[in-house]
Amino acid sequence: MVPFKIEITHRNTLPVVHIAGELDIHNCKELDSVLSPLLSASTQTLAFNLAQTVYIDSTGLGILAHAARHLAKTQGSVLVICPKPQLKKVFELAGLHKKNVLLFEDETTALSNY
Amino acid sequence: MSKSITMTLPASSEFVAVTRLTVSGIAARMNFPIEVIEDLKVSLSEACTNVVQHAYPEKESGVIEIAFHLHPDKLEIFVEDHGKGFNPKEAASQKENSATIESFGLGLGLTFIKSLMDEAEVTSHIGKGTVVRMVKYSPNPTIK
Repeated sequence: MVPFKIEITHRNTLPVVHIAGELDIHNCKELDSVLSPLLSASTQTLAFNLAQTVYIDSTGLGILAHAARHLAKTQGSVLVICPKPQLKKVFELAGLHKKNVLLFEDETTALSNY
Repeated sequence: MSKSITMTLPASSEFVAVTRLTVSGIAARMNFPIEVIEDLKVSLSEACTNVVQHAYPEKESGVIEIAFHLHPDKLEIFVEDHGKGFNPKEAASQKENSATIESFGLGLGLTFIKSLMDEAEVTSHIGKGTVVRMVKYSPNPTIK
């Protein structure tokens, strides 16, 4: 089992949030508190790397949707690196991929413009 | 004859992961394919998350009762709480107007269950609690 962990790296000025393990109702508050300083700063775009994420539930998606909605006010967007089909499926079911949330298979493609 | 497994757990967030492990084990035992096991994990987890978030008033402890009925051709799951219950019509209208994270989660959880399961019904009585019944048919039935 992959233990839950959140790590932030930067690609130039772009923050990349790496989430490992299962993101669900129990630990989504942790993600929320990690994101709030990033959202209050002058962040235009935010990336999430879910390569090590094994599960994401509606509360976790809710937090990503909240970030996307916040960034949409300044025409910003959220990049999601999501190689796993079972995670891609929940993004699609939630209708998140239609808004300013862009899904990518790998980090190289997602961050090529940054 | 169907076999049944029941479990009662505290309605608190740290136990939702346990329900995912449990349903994975049961579904694997019934030879459900891996993609369907993922759908079952999401559906049960979302039903339990709804209980944790909404069923019981804050600072009040409550339980989630889960019953798995292992039929030859399907897995039937009941998720029951004895919380405050809700009016499904009101919940639906709240979903459209709201902008909060929590309510996004609520509407989404039920959307997931309805799209991932073959059958899904929610019965709720104000002051008594809520029951979610969901069914997934087995692609490899073991009917004798």
